[in-house]
Amino acid sequence: MYGNAYIDPNEKANAMIAGEDPIKLAEFEARIARGEKIEPKDWMPKEYRKQLIRMIEQHGHSEIIGALPEGTWITRAPGFKRKMALMAKVQDEVGHAQLLYSAAETLGKSREDMTNDLITGKSKYSNVFNYPAFTWADACIIAWLIDAGAIINQVANAKGSYGPYCRALDRICTEESFHLKYGHDNVVTLATGTPIQRKMVQEALTRWWPPIMHFFGPSDKISQHTEILMRWKVKMASNDDMRQQFLNMYVPKIWDLGLTVPDTALKKNEETGLWEYTEPDWDEFKRVINGGGPCNAERLAVRRMAEERGRWVRKALYNASEKYVTPLA
Amino acid sequence: MNSIALKELLYKMADDLLIIGHRNSEWTGLGPILEEDIAFSSMAQDKIGQSQALFQLLHELGEQEPDTVAFTRNANQFHNAQFLELPNGDYDFSLMRHFLYDVADQLRFEFLANSSYEPLAKVARKIKGELKYHVFHANTWVVKLGNGTEESKARMQTALNEAWNYALGMFETSEFENDLIASGVFVGEEALKKQWLDTIAPIIEKASLQIPSSNTWAPVFGGRKCKHTEHLAPLVDEMSEVFRVDPSAEW
Amino acid sequence: MIKSLDPRITREQIEENNSIEPLTPMDNWETYEVFHQKKRGDQHMHVGIVHAPNPEMALLFGKEQYGRRNITANIWVVKTANVFACEYDDADMFETTPEKQYREAGGYKVMEKINKYKKAQKTV
Repeated sequence: MYGNAYIDPNEKANAMIAGEDPIKLAEFEARIARGEKIEPKDWMPKEYRKQLIRMIEQHGHSEIIGALPEGTWITRAPGFKRKMALMAKVQDEVGHAQLLYSAAETLGKSREDMTNDLITGKSKYSNVFNYPAFTWADACIIAWLIDAGAIINQVANAKGSYGPYCRALDRICTEESFHLKYGHDNVVTLATGTPIQRKMVQEALTRWWPPIMHFFGPSDKISQHTEILMRWKVKMASNDDMRQQFLNMYVPKIWDLGLTVPDTALKKNEETGLWEYTEPDWDEFKRVINGGGPCNAERLAVRRMAEERGRWVRKALYNASEKYVTPLA
Repeated sequence: MNSIALKELLYKMADDLLIIGHRNSEWTGLGPILEEDIAFSSMAQDKIGQSQALFQLLHELGEQEPDTVAFTRNANQFHNAQFLELPNGDYDFSLMRHFLYDVADQLRFEFLANSSYEPLAKVARKIKGELKYHVFHANTWVVKLGNGTEESKARMQTALNEAWNYALGMFETSEFENDLIASGVFVGEEALKKQWLDTIAPIIEKASLQIPSSNTWAPVFGGRKCKHTEHLAPLVDEMSEVFRVDPSAEW
Repeated sequence: MIKSLDPRITREQIEENNSIEPLTPMDNWETYEVFHQKKRGDQHMHVGIVHAPNPEMALLFGKEQYGRRNITANIWVVKTANVFACEYDDADMFETTPEKQYREAGGYKVMEKINKYKKAQKTV
């Protein structure tokens, strides 16, 4: 088998697995096919490690940046209950960043390197957080519908192949049930409240609908690349599938509140069971994710500020005799 | 028992907790490292929850609903010590304030656990446990930073110097001190202050820091009589901005 | 200066192009493994890591990151550097473990023997 299983690195389709030991690769793929998890010290293809680091790291960055739009309203939350709940929610985002960075660390990238890549703009995060939370109602819409989108993504990825990421996602999914309930409760309160409150939440929904439709990304290109990532259970569901899931679960709930979604083409095709909608502007998506959005500059400037302000604290407690070891699980 | 004296006591405690909880919540998402960000936010939430519990006691004594009282008063109606409304500054000042206030707060609730006013004693007994963590956190940080680098030591000493007279202002006495003491509701600010000084001294020493010399002590009073710095009005405006859009609405 | 929708951020007076020195190795300290005990009598379970500069802070952080929502009786922390682990490569060491029926209750078919005997007695 060894002799016959040479993988030609020049064949385009095989670029991802070029140079990998074919026997180890086969065992690795068989393990995943059996539904078993890959743990940090297991043999893994270089591309698997690379893709996972990128994915988990970006997910972590999305959480810490995601703390900022809702954080906008922490000091102005109306009433005790909302004040404490919003603090807890944003705290959870910070906690999720911690869990996700920890999972990525098991693959060999340090938290310092990940932070540096975030604040220099090298690593990406979820585009949706490059938009401004203009009003209290924006914070509520984000808490409901963006978290809803994130949950669909997370539930899918929790069935992935990499142990530490799955364990982090299990913890995260549990906390997200509070987020979803909190978000929905807030939107319902506004939508069923005073005329001013109804207006505020409708305007917020109108504002946030395009970024929400962008949330799952453009339709996946069918490629060898995607196929391999799905075989390795790194990519668990197609962008379109997740978008359909989201629309199916949440558009009826939005309409239930008498709110209007700013897309006249939005409707469920009863024959196919699929939702039809105006194709989002993917050029706009590209423009924003590459730095041209309303809040990109601010988000990263804030993270740089926070890191710099805290540097003396971290330095003060640093002990030269300590040694960093890659986490095990 | 003098109900005005009791209400005044509850108002100042509730306002202290609300204002410091609000200030500390400003760090959420912006802390020096993720793990500490998370810890500091938990404590800020605790403080706000404790504030709500005390406003609830006030409500049972005839004051309005907690949300209404907390989110519709003006700055010149607040009874918090000026110490707590000061801006956060850097993490050095925020931690030092956390230490000086939380130690006093824990001692205050320890005393109140034996208050003759049972509803307050009940709340105090419940809150005491939470404060153990807050004080453990504060003590650990002050000691570690005081003994850290030259920079951290200098920052913590400066923070202590700047905070000191404001901290002493936490113990501003009420005209009803004797009533409160005589009726067994509370041991009074003097007793609390003495206990506080005894408690913080060993921690400050362990942190290689120095309390300002007593001939420079000049407590900053006024907060208890609703006299505040220029920092409180903007804080209150910000805190109540959304609520005031419609104070009668459900949020 | 950044004028943000978040008043906290505006107060910070941040320059939009505020580049900073990169974080150096161990800027975020080393890691500790956290073990969480739900109730007295339960085992402590491994729940994840915290970055911390000393054991006291590892406990403080461990409590909030892994215990703020969960019923908690106790927490342990151990430096990651002090954890010793088997190699997953050696997992074949564990392969035959489930097959050792001689030391499992399920490996004993007592009723079979009894029934066989009773059946034999009847035919006598």
